[in-house]
Amino acid sequence: MTAAARKSILVVSRHAHPGSSLPRSALDTALAAAAFDQPVALLFQGEGVLQLLSEQDSRAAGVRNLRKVLDSLPLYEIETLHVDAAAAAAFGLDRDALPAGAEWLDAAGIRALLARHDHVLGF
Amino acid sequence: MLLHTLSRSPAHSALRDCLAVLGPDDALLLLGDGVYAALAGSEAAELLAASGAALFVLDADAALAGVRERLLPGATVVDDDGFVALSERYSRQLAWY
Amino acid sequence: MALDYALLVLAAPASGHSSLTAVRFARALLARGHSLQRVFFLDNGTLTGLAAAVTPQDEHSPLQQWAQLAEEHQTELILCISSALKRGLLDSTEATRHERPGATVHPAFELGGLGLLVEAAQTADRLVTFG
Repeated sequence: MTAAARKSILVVSRHAHPGSSLPRSALDTALAAAAFDQPVALLFQGEGVLQLLSEQDSRAAGVRNLRKVLDSLPLYEIETLHVDAAAAAAFGLDRDALPAGAEWLDAAGIRALLARHDHVLGF
Repeated sequence: MLLHTLSRSPAHSALRDCLAVLGPDDALLLLGDGVYAALAGSEAAELLAASGAALFVLDADAALAGVRERLLPGATVVDDDGFVALSERYSRQLAWY
Repeated sequence: MALDYALLVLAAPASGHSSLTAVRFARALLARGHSLQRVFFLDNGTLTGLAAAVTPQDEHSPLQQWAQLAEEHQTELILCISSALKRGLLDSTEATRHERPGATVHPAFELGGLGLLVEAAQTADRLVTFG
């Protein structure tokens, strides 16, 4: 299959992670797409931006650390994390609180991101 | 040009997050508990009308919720066939739930 | 123009009726001349494949509706294997592997990796999600 024929996927993750299994499913889906060389991008929107906080320690809770999964994304060549800037601001998060290199998008930027992918998956 | 589908009630953050990206070129189909967002005179319905997006409500779910006669005048009721027709017209769908 | 559809179901079958809406959508798209090769169930959506689910007689059973669709239209029903195992949904192979008493997945469904969702996305003109 040629590169031109491959369809791109945008994974939109909008739930906070400790209370929902959806964020993990969103990341797993993005990783699977990348593993199969399908163009994929991630947008963290609404409460989903909270998944990006560093200093997550899951040992006492006995579950997998989501940040470790997030940190593995560059290994799969998912380099850019797109962040809903308005949601981050609403939670009092500045750029220092979230991964360096994340792309912060306003509403118009998010709409443009949505429009340039073939499939959009909302988690 | 997106088809948004919203299936949570207006009290849930799904509506707020959807409104944050909903554009005038988009369509929004309300289904499940999402149909309550189209209640005429409600705060949610006013926000949806102000978005400029084309509004649709799934018939079976409007009937189930008992809101069929109370919908925002600008909302169009569609059946399952109409839902598929929307997905034909809008090549991308984003589910809010 | 006939389109190829793929569906992603994330909704649990017994919370609300999103699963039944998804089956009706599947039937409606087939009735309009489109094709549906695969439905992928992920996260709580994998609970749809639980063979022992009992629905009250006056309600539609999501399990039966999906199984009938698969039989009539040769649509593949795939449960994400990692989501499924966590929720106790095992086929006979997985039951043996994990030393569980027996299979819990309905035979109309198959366990599979997320690669099958990715593959469906590659070929589908439309990917519609039900959460």
